[in-house]
Amino acid sequence: MRKRSICSAAALAAMLVLSPAVRGQNAARQTPPPDISGVWQIAKPQGTLFPNGGAPLTPWAEAKFKAANPQTNDPNLGCLPEGMPRFMLSIPLPMEIFQTPTRVVIIREGVQVFRQIYMNRDHLKDLDPTYSGDSVGKWEGDTLVVDTIGLKDSTWVDNAGLPHSEAMRVIERIRRTDHDTLVDDLTIEDPSTFTKPITAQRMWKLKPGWEIQEFVCTENNKYTFQGK
Amino acid sequence: MRIRLVFCVIAPVIAALLLSLSGPALAHHGFVSWFDMGRLVTVKGTVTSFDWTNPHAYIYLDVKNEKGATEKWTAELGAIAMLTRAGWRKDILKPGDEITASGNPAKDGKPNMHLDKVVLANGQELASAL
Repeated sequence: MRKRSICSAAALAAMLVLSPAVRGQNAARQTPPPDISGVWQIAKPQGTLFPNGGAPLTPWAEAKFKAANPQTNDPNLGCLPEGMPRFMLSIPLPMEIFQTPTRVVIIREGVQVFRQIYMNRDHLKDLDPTYSGDSVGKWEGDTLVVDTIGLKDSTWVDNAGLPHSEAMRVIERIRRTDHDTLVDDLTIEDPSTFTKPITAQRMWKLKPGWEIQEFVCTENNKYTFQGK
Repeated sequence: MRIRLVFCVIAPVIAALLLSLSGPALAHHGFVSWFDMGRLVTVKGTVTSFDWTNPHAYIYLDVKNEKGATEKWTAELGAIAMLTRAGWRKDILKPGDEITASGNPAKDGKPNMHLDKVVLANGQELASAL
């Protein structure tokens, strides 16, 4: 009789420990997401994707790129947001990353002030194109994988004026390679614009003690945007 | 023989390497398209105004050229938070201050520059920032 009750108690205990709810809670307690928070500054500013030319452009994109003039029709001249991916690619001003369980928020001391990455959710349906697009993220081990679509086609991909369509997709793999280093491997896909996907890597260094300051672009901007 | 090696080979190589590193490292919204990033000009003049603003701070200065005429120069600096981190303050320059400014000159020949650094009357050097 006693043996049976011990076995039952053991079986009950095993069921409880192995139950999905308890296992899930234990897993959540044991593996917090990696910490990429902090103020980060670009290690080597590089405003253009192809400083020596040679971007793999379609004929449509080639014509648009020829019409791009950094002195007159860069939308950023008139303080319009950089949008994605230029916000991560081309801006030599510091950013700060905040993490919550449902959101990664990046604020920047620059023209575009923030972008948001929504964690563990699918893209929204019927997206209205925006400068930042709809960014969704999930952790794969130590890497934050971010997928962004729904991007307004009036932005430049980089400081040289590479164009894009509303169908552009930007995939990022963001990871902290050591305590002081953050790396973003970007892949840009847009078959109307690029004949093959573009890849780029950016690296930031941690700036302990730096605080993100105000940056009001329209305060004393002497450059004017003469595009549409 | 060793001295010849240092002066004739090693020093020029190091100088060439340093010069190649001092080229345009960045292109924030393409100011490289207005300024000749491969050249440096230096002017000495009197500050008439110092705009401590974003997206760029500006120094305005009156410069006497070789003919004795006054040229009105504008030097464009970086963003004020980055300048603060490099040691600048909003009141570090006042109208009447005598300074030397060097930077990349405007491609169109006008008296504008993208500032590299200033030297104040007391000898203090301040580099511009992004």
